[in-house]
Amino acid sequence: MSEVRLAAESRTEFGKGAARRTRRAGKIPAVLYGHGSDPKHLALPALEFARVVREHGGNAVLSLDLNGSQELALTKTVTTHPIKNYIEHVDLLLVQRGEKITVDVPVVLVGDAAAATLVTQELSTIQIEAEALHLPENLELSIEAAGPGTQFHASDVTLPSGASLVTDADALVAAVNEAPSAAQMDGEAAEAAEASADES
Amino acid sequence: MLIPRRVKHRKQHHPKRSGAAKGGTKVTFGEFGIQALEPAYVTNRQIESARIAINRHIRRGGKVWINIFPDRPLTKKPAETRMGSGKGSPEYWVANVKPGRVLFEMTYPNETVAREALRRAIHKLPLKCRIVTREGGDF
Repeated sequence: MSEVRLAAESRTEFGKGAARRTRRAGKIPAVLYGHGSDPKHLALPALEFARVVREHGGNAVLSLDLNGSQELALTKTVTTHPIKNYIEHVDLLLVQRGEKITVDVPVVLVGDAAAATLVTQELSTIQIEAEALHLPENLELSIEAAGPGTQFHASDVTLPSGASLVTDADALVAAVNEAPSAAQMDGEAAEAAEASADES
Repeated sequence: MLIPRRVKHRKQHHPKRSGAAKGGTKVTFGEFGIQALEPAYVTNRQIESARIAINRHIRRGGKVWINIFPDRPLTKKPAETRMGSGKGSPEYWVANVKPGRVLFEMTYPNETVAREALRRAIHKLPLKCRIVTREGGDF
């Protein structure tokens, strides 16, 4: 993934009132930290940053123009509004060229499993360690023609060169099971209800 | 029907309805989900009714997750009773749902059928909802 240039400006006022004013002005409040430096409070252009996340995913690497200097940053956390689906705040992590970092990368299932099966994805992201400027947008896992009883573990996901797996290699990513019948579905729901009742 | 097996206090105050959901706002288990758009008390009967609506539509070949649990008792005084004489007896079990909460999740190979099943389930619930997917919408 290549870096994306983005103009950022420093924020001088803080708190929810200031953050709301920033959002009303079409910007997103953000914070930049890492490598032992003091956190810097920034404002990013909302539309441009949303486009970056849309096109490059949640692990986009940004080249920030900040008061005439260039900073390389990784999008660490994007906080969105639970209903209105706009970006409320962004955490950015300072990175250096050639530095290896640990990130959560989405796993995308490709292909169709065998007929009369039900595919359940247990892990939607897996942690990998890779070079900051060569992070994959997502990792593909082929479930083509997988029969009932097939399990795909984290070790089955093909990683790009130079990346290593941080998540436990035996962690279950996706399972292909026989499609449950109507009676089984009712039974499962009853079991789930009992389990929830026990926990409470 | 969902009901707690044991509770510390038989009668409780009404749960707070203000604010938005702090967690459980994304689809994590299945592919599609029902997201609340307003606050509501959802009773165990309504949850069960929505679950049955989904299961009857998809018949087989899918999986449904219920992400809320009705753990709060609501009391009610009998009809034509004078005020006073203490709090009424527990009548309902409700889940306190806040806007943004994903109530149900499901996975099913056919998206059209899954959406129709969730649409039917929404009709059984006492609040405005929308159907969301695991990928989420664009910003």
